[in-house]
This record gives sequence, C-alpha cells and structure tokens, in this order.
Amino acid sequence: MRTFLTSLGILIGVLSVVLIIAFGLGLKKYIENQFESLGANLIFVMPGSKKTILRGGGMVGGIKFDEKDVNNIRKIKNISYLAPVFVKTGAIIDANGKTEVVEVIASNEEISGVMNLELEKGQLFEKKDIQKGQKIIMLHLSMAEKLFNSIDSALGDFVTLDNQNFKVVAILKSKGGGGLGGGDIDAHAYIPFKASYSFNPEKKYYGLYFKADTKENVFAVKYEVQKILEKRYDEDDFSVMEQSELMETISSIFNIINTVLIAIAAISLIVGGIGIMNIMYVTITEKVREIGIRRAIGATKRDILLQFLTQAIILSLLGGFFGVLLAFLITLAIQFFFPAYINLSSVVLALSVSSAIGIIFGVFPAKKAADLSPIDAIRYE
Amino acid sequence: MIRLTSICKEYAIGENELFIALHNINLTIREGELISIIGPSGSGKSTLIHLIGLLEKPTRGIITIKDKDTSSLNDDEISKIRNEFVGFVFQQFNLINKLTILENILLPAIYAKNKLKYSPVEKAMDLIKKFGLLGKENSYPNKISGGQQQRTAIARALVMKPLLLLADEPTGNLDTKTGKDILNLLLNLNREEKLTIIIVTHDPSIAKLTKRKIRLVDGRMVAKF
Repeated sequence: MRTFLTSLGILIGVLSVVLIIAFGLGLKKYIENQFESLGANLIFVMPGSKKTILRGGGMVGGIKFDEKDVNNIRKIKNISYLAPVFVKTGAIIDANGKTEVVEVIASNEEISGVMNLELEKGQLFEKKDIQKGQKIIMLHLSMAEKLFNSIDSALGDFVTLDNQNFKVVAILKSKGGGGLGGGDIDAHAYIPFKASYSFNPEKKYYGLYFKADTKENVFAVKYEVQKILEKRYDEDDFSVMEQSELMETISSIFNIINTVLIAIAAISLIVGGIGIMNIMYVTITEKVREIGIRRAIGATKRDILLQFLTQAIILSLLGGFFGVLLAFLITLAIQFFFPAYINLSSVVLALSVSSAIGIIFGVFPAKKAADLSPIDAIRYE
Repeated sequence: MIRLTSICKEYAIGENELFIALHNINLTIREGELISIIGPSGSGKSTLIHLIGLLEKPTRGIITIKDKDTSSLNDDEISKIRNEFVGFVFQQFNLINKLTILENILLPAIYAKNKLKYSPVEKAMDLIKKFGLLGKENSYPNKISGGQQQRTAIARALVMKPLLLLADEPTGNLDTKTGKDILNLLLNLNREEKLTIIIVTHDPSIAKLTKRKIRLVDGRMVAKF
C-alpha cells in the first residue's frame, strides 16, 4: 500500500506529461490533416505580420481588405482560384429546433476551388448566386446530419443565421475529424459574400484565399501579391503565407503551448519525487538496524547506497510504467472523440524522467543510509 | 593472527568531555584459540570485540590482522575483511525478518567481492543440517525459537568460512538449556574445526569453559589468564 501511494505521485506526473504530449501530437496531426485536405498551392493573405500571427494574435482585427485589393490581385497571372473571405467565428445556426456553432465563411463561388470542397449533393455556388447575394448556404455533411434528420431533408430546407433564413443548397463531403469546434473544417458553413452584410456592415474582407495554378508558381504569385498589397498597406499590416508556412506557424504556437503545459505537469513529477525522497527517509529510519547488520557482515557503503537507490528507482519506474499504461488506456478510450496518440519517444522520455527522478530524489536518503556507522546502526533501537 | 597494540578508544560526551572506553590494550590472538572476554557491564568488553571485528576504529593504537596494519585501510577494504575473515554473533541474533533462514545465512555471500571457491548454497545447507535447522530453511526468523534464531546467526557467521568468530553475549537472550546448547555448539566448532572464537560474556561459568580469559574493568585489561 505504501509503495503504491509513493508511486502514485510519479504515476500522476507521468500520466499528465504523456497525456499532454499525446493530446499535442494528436492536435498537431489533426491540423496537418485538415490543411492537407485543402490541397496544395494554397496561399493566404491575412491581416497582421507573421510575428504577430506567431504570437497568436493578428488572425482577427487589424486591417481588412476590399474589392480594390481583389481586383488588383486578379490581374496576376497563374492564379487559378481567388476567394476573398469574411469569417464569422462562433456563429449560431439553428434548424429544426437544433442549434450548432459554425464558422461562417462568406465568399464567392471560387471558394469551393480554393478549399477543395467536394459536393455530396446539391449545387455548389455559381457566379449569379454570388452576384445576387442570395440567402443560400453550403454545409458539410456531418453538420447537415447534426441539424437535419437526413441530407435529403436538409437540401432545400432553411437554417437560421443571424435572424435570417438561409436555404441549404449544397451538402459538402466531410473533411474528417470533428469535435474540435472552430478549427474543424466540417464546422465551416459557406454563404455568398453579399449575404454577410448584416453582420459585416463594412463590407470588407477578412482575408484573401487563393491558389497558384502550379506548385512552381506559388513563390512567384506570393511575391507579386506582396508587391501589390505593399502599395496600399504597410508590410507589417498583412502576411502572405502559403499553406506550409501557416501550418508551421500554427505548429510553433502549439509547441509553445505544449511546452508550457508539459512544464506545468512536470511540477507534479517533482512533487512525486519529493514523495519518494520522504518515504525513502522513513524506510531508512525503519531499517537502520538492518543496515548495521548488513554492514557488519561485509556490505560496503556502495552496496548500501545501491540497495536504497535501486529501491527509489524501482518505486519511480513503477509509477512511470503504470502512468504510461494508464495514459495509453485513456488515449485509446478518447481516440473515439479526439485523435490523440502516444509515440515511442514520449514513453522513453517518461520512463527516463521517472528513473532520473528516482536517482535524484533517492540519492540523498541512500547516501544517508550508506554513511551510517555500522556499530551505531546495529545498536539502534 | 590478530595483534592489538596500545589500543585506546575514546568517545566524546557532550562538547568537552571524553569517555575513555579502553585504555592501552595490548593483545595477541593466535589461530585456533578460544578466548573469553569477561568483566562487568560498561567495562569495555563489547567495544573491544567491535574493534577486533573492525566494526569500529580505535582512537589510538594499531590492529594488525595477519600482519597487515588495518589503520591505513579504507572503508571498502575493511568491509571486505569483515566479510571474508570475521563472523559476528550478537546477543539479539540480528537476523533480517523479511528474509528466510536460508536467505539470512546466505546474506554475507551476496557481499563477497571475490568469486567463492565453493557453493555458498551447499555450504549454507550443510550448516542448516549440522545445526538442526533442516525443514526451517524457508521459514522466517519470527516463526522459529530463540535457540534456532541464534543457530541461524551462527550459520550466517560461518557461511564465508571465516578465520575468526566473534560472539557478543551469545547466550544472553536464551534460557539456560538453550544457552548451554549454543555454547556447546561454539565449543565444538573450536575443538573440531579449529575455528578461532572470542566470546564476550559477563557469566563466569561460560568463561570457565574457555582456555584463555581476558578480564576488563573500566576499560583496562586487569588480567589475562
């Protein structure tokens, strides 16, 4: 029982660290998959410099783009699709008495080309729909299934968004994932840009999404867009990024958050280590006489040191092993809802850290035991 | 085999006071001897046996074992001598309760720094048979009698085939009959196997059975006879 309680501190610490790494890895992979599903050659223009985006800001607020920017960019050759967008995050959508949170993307008919949207049923936006600013909406399959009984009943029916009725004209194939709210592509709902005027009174764009016609032209297109926009805006006011850059940026943000979380979880490992140190001191006090006996029959200081150090390491490793095991089971269970996964390096890290804790926190009590005078120890009552 | 020259042992009591446990002890122990150290409580008997067994270092003086001065040896070398040449038997038996009788007897072999030329398990089993402990080898110390525990302690002291057996009041915790049995066992070991044995006792009837007696009073050797 005492062994279990002592190891519990390390178990909780290792469990937290491994789970945070598992969540971090899962989230990173999830985002990578989402970006990959958007297809290659994708370029984004967003407000804010790359530095502010890296700090987690700049995604919203700052400058907004207008029709003049769109027309200027359209003049560039080698752009296959150009979709200026206004984004409303955390928008509430109702249908059939059911409510869901979506990310509304108000854009043009080229958004399906930019975002690689594939039609499950219905009709993608056409140029005339955009020009008229019709109150129509495209939903991903999983969202349509949540709001309606079937996709057949969804098609042609209406959803309420910002107190306006939008007719569902297209059901889009799912991009996978789910349960992540804002970051989930399946939670995107697309409407014509003009239909967003009620909640976008400035009638401006939050970002410009477009695709270069070939991978080779991505760099040239980015360069030209940069030059065009610099004529109107300061270079720190916007960023032209390709998909991989954005992914790297988001990864860096996740890495920072993950490192901070792991550092916090590591505190529990230190607390666990102190628990081990404490119990080792108690064990040594209980075994003073035994230490004396062992020294009397020939055990060296090193033998005694190793005996107690081994015990501390075993206690730590036991905690580490069961922490990893529990983390593995929890990860298996939550994989139904979240794509977390444990990799070998996090297991090796957890076990190395727990043995290191055993050594660091075990060495002082073990040294105390080894330094006991044999005769004083043997006389200890 | 063992020579103590001008041995003094002092202990600090408080900050400025010294307690002199042994004064200028000179003693030579030859191979195969059976010696008793006698004297009243606090006379320094146990201190002397601990010094001979290298459990403590003298404040002054030299202890040589087989002509080797032990004062310059480090802790590892002293532990090795204790392991290979000296066997201890204590009044309190000092067995480890979580280990079985066989494991207790084998304990010194675990700490042997050189590979043993014999099988310690076979040696331990021989001692178990010889000391009437057969059938008890897998029992734990708290499940056997005091006499059996002391026999186990003697077996543990002998498993490394030591040159010297040091017994500190070996019968002190036993009833008269069992004490007599243990004493006979020690006498037989000296007689039959020529094992050098030093017994610390305050009981004159035990001392009477040894060929050589050393009397201590207040840390001084008052008689060797």
